[in-house]
Amino acid sequence: MTAALEVSRPEAVARRATLVPLAARELRRFVLNPVFLFAVVMTLWVAWSRAGATVTEIDEVNGYPAVFLGGFGMMAAYWLSRSMRASEPVAGVTPVTRPARTAVLCAVAIVPFLCGILALLGFLRTYPLSDAAYGPFSPSARIAVLVGQIVVPALGGPLLGVALGRWVRFPGAAFVLFLVIFGWVQLVTILTISRPDSAPIAVLRLFSPFAFFTLHADAGVTAWRGSPWFFIGWQLALCAIAVLVALLRGAEGRVRTRIIRALAITGAAAVILLVLAATGGFTHAVAA
Amino acid sequence: MTGAVLRAGAWPAVAGLSGAAVVVGGCGAAFPAAATVLLPICFTLLAAAAAFTLDEPASLVVDVTPTGPVRRTGIRAVALLAPLAAGALVLLAAALRGQALPWAAASLALAGNILLGFAVACVVRTRTGEPGAAAGTAVVLALMAPSLVPQVARFVRTFPSPGAGGPSSDTVWWTVLAVCVVAIAVSVGGRSLPPWMSTVPISRRRRSYPTVQPP
Repeated sequence: MTAALEVSRPEAVARRATLVPLAARELRRFVLNPVFLFAVVMTLWVAWSRAGATVTEIDEVNGYPAVFLGGFGMMAAYWLSRSMRASEPVAGVTPVTRPARTAVLCAVAIVPFLCGILALLGFLRTYPLSDAAYGPFSPSARIAVLVGQIVVPALGGPLLGVALGRWVRFPGAAFVLFLVIFGWVQLVTILTISRPDSAPIAVLRLFSPFAFFTLHADAGVTAWRGSPWFFIGWQLALCAIAVLVALLRGAEGRVRTRIIRALAITGAAAVILLVLAATGGFTHAVAA
Repeated sequence: MTGAVLRAGAWPAVAGLSGAAVVVGGCGAAFPAAATVLLPICFTLLAAAAAFTLDEPASLVVDVTPTGPVRRTGIRAVALLAPLAAGALVLLAAALRGQALPWAAASLALAGNILLGFAVACVVRTRTGEPGAAAGTAVVLALMAPSLVPQVARFVRTFPSPGAGGPSSDTVWWTVLAVCVVAIAVSVGGRSLPPWMSTVPISRRRRSYPTVQPP
């Protein structure tokens, strides 16, 4: 046991010594990516330009960080992971395995995640939790709605971009996926407006990396059915699936078996969390 | 000749994007309440499909053959029929579902989207052999701007919404069509290219003309 620890410790130190500089380099490339810089600037600009505007419900404004940090972050991460494709014959013979390089790429998602946290703090400063724009949600559920709509998409978008870049050869895959997700969210939101109490439509609305929870009508702000806390669980499960799918590319032997096993467990957890998200919380649309 | 140039096109990308656009547009036709959101996304995908029509992986060889850029671009423009047909199919489906869209303006928007994608690809093609990814992304970001940023939607509208106020999309698309025609003509014109649109990268051009000092 002691001998095994003595062998594994220097190995772990050596691995860290290799991965940390790689992670720092990828982080620098991601931060300097023009698409990501554009996303940060747009998030700031939209927040600044709407600072004094009257907001009837929070869903009017909290989708922008998800679109810019999550959606555009996905495109930036996709390009980042694809940029080494041409040099794969050279990079492939280095001592660092492909899953390790993928893990390093996934680590860059920390940057948009931190940006998402900053956006959340800025949002809370502009729209405090006591604001009527949040509708009938409890204070803790209001926090969950904001985390699920601002912070987690900012983390998940780039992770999805890395997974996409590892598996899909088509160079336009990132913007196609962005458009498809954007269209899906719009479609299921419109369906929910027409049938707010329907359980299957609630499942469809939450079957997405981003979902709206409120609507402003004549009666005031209406909260749709679903649990914001379980929705965060579903989103985090999607993030884990994206990481595992990305790591699966190039994994061999025992590592591959472990990843596939973890993927099955995470997939099952994701399904359970989605069902809980749709059936928990308000069981029908509630007006404030 | 025509067949060979057409065969070399990025057909999987063009067909795949057109197919995705048909699916999204089909949802827009099936759910009239979502049509004004999903049809612009459908048209954006078709613009991206048009941006991939000029992709030429063997550009280093093809660009030095006697067939000029005008003829090559003309042949490749035939591939625009795929996104155009997909868009027409979506509009037809929406019409059959009884949707009350301004059809002339919607058709103009469809043509404008596709020509914009092609024009951007023509311009980028002067710098690289495979302009699809860059041109497609640029076109998608530009066309989605009114949907993503409400401040832009106040001034520019890319899809005609029935009964909505604000600027007309026709003005935007007629202007875009005119600019696109000029951009295509300039970019395939070869010799008449502005300096920033040269087919030879600046760094290589500098190396090609070493200055010789007189003895």
